[in-house]
Amino acid sequence: MRTLVFIPAWNEEDSVVGVIDDVRRSIPGSDILVVDDGSRDATTVRARQAGAMVAVLPFNQGLGAALQTGYLYAFREGYDYCAHLDSDGQHPPAEVARLLDEVRSGRADLAIGSRYVDPDSAEEDDYTPTFLRRVGSGVFRFFLTLATRQRFTDTTSGMRAANRRVMALFSERYSPDFAEIESLQRAVRQGLTVEELPVRMLPRAEGTSFLTPVKSTFFIFKSLIVLLVGRFRPRSAEYLD
Amino acid sequence: MSAVTLAAAADPSVRLTPQARILAAIIAIAFVGMILELIRRHQLQERFSIVWFLAGLGMLAGAMFPGLLELAANIMGVRDTNVALFSIVLLLLLGLALNFSVIISRQAEQITRLAQESALERTREEKAAPGAQPETAEEPDET
Repeated sequence: MRTLVFIPAWNEEDSVVGVIDDVRRSIPGSDILVVDDGSRDATTVRARQAGAMVAVLPFNQGLGAALQTGYLYAFREGYDYCAHLDSDGQHPPAEVARLLDEVRSGRADLAIGSRYVDPDSAEEDDYTPTFLRRVGSGVFRFFLTLATRQRFTDTTSGMRAANRRVMALFSERYSPDFAEIESLQRAVRQGLTVEELPVRMLPRAEGTSFLTPVKSTFFIFKSLIVLLVGRFRPRSAEYLD
Repeated sequence: MSAVTLAAAADPSVRLTPQARILAAIIAIAFVGMILELIRRHQLQERFSIVWFLAGLGMLAGAMFPGLLELAANIMGVRDTNVALFSIVLLLLLGLALNFSVIISRQAEQITRLAQESALERTREEKAAPGAQPETAEEPDET
């Protein structure tokens, strides 16, 4: 059973090495691929020095394209399972290992780490979302629940584990921007088992969120269109390996 | 009913003036000529030129046979032929703009896939021959 852990990174030279080392400790035996989404800093060099494989996209194309690159690599190279986490240190790899266990045990095709499922377990240095973020998440949650008839709490989580069915689906088509929502909807529509697990998330180690108010508005608008249209899209052929 | 309404009802359409027709014909011919020249210089691909040819020829037809435009105006229920002309042109442009958005979307998807393929190809090469990749490279030069 081969496992690929991939890390989409864009200008994360300061945090990427730490994440790679953490992944190696927490998920032993896995291959690590950093997808450098057209960074202008030394992300690629640092990642290589840390011993990870690196896929360098020639120019920045957005998180969705970077994630798809990871899924594509995992699918083509014949990995049985894959997982991905953010490169900014927000996602503890130990939690990713739990997501992988969920998929390996066959309980889910796609496991998503949710920072909201169990707020009581929050510890001191854990991730606390801002007010705006909470409102936005609420809106998404409502529409995604409406679209999939399944309850999701953390719709934009970038911490996931998946098996080959999901790899096939996502490597074929994945919205190029940060469209975690569309991918969730497609997976559920395709009849795959999608599960959310409560995970701990940390405050950002380096860098700032790329979500400015304008971008957030655009994101919400786009996601609503995606959810609406997705209801009427034909299902793809069966995704079985 | 006022006299104006009655007069308008009696004369159901406002026609294009001869000057407007001549001007439109000249512009249409120049337009078609420009398209041909762009194709000749390889600045416009043939497959994208068809819609523009149709637009240019339509413009020419409208200028040469004003009856066509009046017929269109009647069908649309528009009394003023000029308004009908503008509406038709506006709709055509809207359609063209949408057509281009579709083309751009498709090309954006193709570019993304191309970039991914090239990135994965290089990753595979490095994996096959790790020595070829200098371990302690300087700052990245390709980005």
